[in-house]
Amino acid sequence: MSASASIAPPGRSAFQRFLSGYGQEIVVFLSIIFLFVVVGAINPRFLSDTNINSIFAGNAYIAVAAIGMSMIIMAGHIDVSVGALIGVIATIAGTLAVNGYPVWIAWLVPIIFSMAVNAGVGALVAYTRIPSIVVTLGMLSILKGGLISATAGAWITNMPAEFMIAQMRPFGIPSAVYFMVALTILASFFIKYTDFGRSIYAVGGNMEAARAAGINPERVVVGVFALHGFFAGVAGILFATQLQVIQSTVPPNLELTVITASVIGGVSILGGTGTVIGSTLAAILFACIGSALIFLNVSAYWLRAVLGLMILATVLADMARRRRAK
Amino acid sequence: MKKLTLAALLGLGLVSGQALAAGWTGGDDQQTNPLACDGTPAAAAAMPYDGGAPTNPPDRKGKKITVVDVPKLIGIGYFNATSKGIADAAAELGNVDAKTDGPTKANIDEQITFLDNYITSGVDGILFAANDPVAIAPVLKKALEKGINVVGYDANSTPDARQWFVNQAQFNGIAKALVDSMAAEIGEEGGFAIVTSTFTTPNQARWIAEMSAYAEKCHPKMKWLETVEAQEDNNLSFNQATTLINKYGDELKGIFGMTSVATPASAEAVTQANKCGNIAVVGLATPNAMKPYVEKGCVKSVVLWNPVDLGYAAMQVLRSVADGTLQPGATSVKAGKLGELQVINGSEILLGAPYVFNKDNIGQFDF
Repeated sequence: MSASASIAPPGRSAFQRFLSGYGQEIVVFLSIIFLFVVVGAINPRFLSDTNINSIFAGNAYIAVAAIGMSMIIMAGHIDVSVGALIGVIATIAGTLAVNGYPVWIAWLVPIIFSMAVNAGVGALVAYTRIPSIVVTLGMLSILKGGLISATAGAWITNMPAEFMIAQMRPFGIPSAVYFMVALTILASFFIKYTDFGRSIYAVGGNMEAARAAGINPERVVVGVFALHGFFAGVAGILFATQLQVIQSTVPPNLELTVITASVIGGVSILGGTGTVIGSTLAAILFACIGSALIFLNVSAYWLRAVLGLMILATVLADMARRRRAK
Repeated sequence: MKKLTLAALLGLGLVSGQALAAGWTGGDDQQTNPLACDGTPAAAAAMPYDGGAPTNPPDRKGKKITVVDVPKLIGIGYFNATSKGIADAAAELGNVDAKTDGPTKANIDEQITFLDNYITSGVDGILFAANDPVAIAPVLKKALEKGINVVGYDANSTPDARQWFVNQAQFNGIAKALVDSMAAEIGEEGGFAIVTSTFTTPNQARWIAEMSAYAEKCHPKMKWLETVEAQEDNNLSFNQATTLINKYGDELKGIFGMTSVATPASAEAVTQANKCGNIAVVGLATPNAMKPYVEKGCVKSVVLWNPVDLGYAAMQVLRSVADGTLQPGATSVKAGKLGELQVINGSEILLGAPYVFNKDNIGQFDF
């Protein structure tokens, strides 16, 4: 089973195995370092602690959502509804908070809701064999339309201060960063060292082979979608509590940003390989590029062009690696 | 292949070096017309009607009409307010069946699809706020060809693609109100930056061009540091404003928010950076989103017109056009409780002077 996770043929040195197992993660990490060095040299304020804080916190909710998305893609599926789901979660959380429910209820109920919704999506995908892109495209419209209808476009304001978890700063570091780091580490260990975690790769690599090996692929798919719901739920809470206002629309193309983070982080769009460390690094890289563009006086519109280039380069690299592995 | 990714990043570095020299300001390159520093109103030059005309419209005088309003996007406070104004006017007129429908993000392609569908389904009148002045023109012309009355508000199209446009405030008037408020807060020599929506958003680009011209004329020592785009996205606006604060440090004394999303997000960025009182935020926004910041004293001036009145005026104008009481060449039009509104620039109708919300009056507004 572990064979599907590491492509490197035996007989290479440990260092080479490390390089081929984490190739994309290393590229992304070096890109971040490269940007810090170059932009920091042009304008040292780029490296100020406040700016580094905002780079790490700015996309933390995207990194958290990308953990779940990476698992979905590793299992050979996709979810294009996550952006709308995050918007719905934020609205439920905000509504509960302004209506006087205890904050832990305002935090937990939306996460449970999100897991339930995605478990349902997972069941549809696993048992009816409808492709996940179709199911989640439908979900996207349901959630987006439902959100606008339910809120009638009104913004949520005046949320209680103790609800605003993303604005808390233990030891001067935004709390969203703690969530991002802790959940990434937990998820990495979970995927690598639990039977369920390893079976995600197996199902994504070859579903029938996984079944022959005694795995119940349907159950794994439902489980992965429910887990993805958990991460999307946490991301939604971080998104809801970052600013004083919850809009009834979600950032345009949020689902694409999340998927892009997974892909650029090295999760193969064909399923079966990848790590969540890569997607978190990629989310940080996006924030880093966004900030660097301002420091270099470049229009933020280049961000999309650059991300597009990076997706193409990453997918090409993935295909080349697979061909070499054969 | 890894080299490819690195090469792409390196390319980014090179591109940024090039763009550094260009320094995009956020304005358009059309002619500007800054107002006098002391506020003397500009004389209105007479211009012939340059709007379009519907082809063989049926006689709608006094008859019940169905109207669809397609704003840039739905679900944000600003267009909720215009939509309320449209509904108010329709209810007051009694012979209009009006509804608002549109994309959930400011996307011109989706807006065109909405318009196309409503033209096919058959309506008597269309109200719109364009996501792009040129791209929207063909579908509006198609509506005119089918005899539909077309009136714009908030964001214009090319003039010949619609009949009339209700101008919420003249660009130079808004620019003056914004820049004067900023100068009063940060002094004549302060440095400021702008957070706007997108390159092709016609309103924002025009305001910025006029702000630049007015600042040059009346506050020549103010220092314009940078303009950044943030779409109409809450989190992106917050991140962009935060990065500006990080980038310029004490050099940055003020931030202009050019949209109802960018202004509260900039105020939030200033608040979370603990810079209230050090960095002023002046901008266009709806009062509800700004109340927390204005009441805490972090924001002193919010500039806007009344969007409920804007929607109301647009609906009234459309009714007058359908009735035939507003014809090319008119110099004013009756708009219900708003009274007589002035015709400017050939085929535009001016709503009035901008409104500055502050601590004393913001509590009276709820939108």
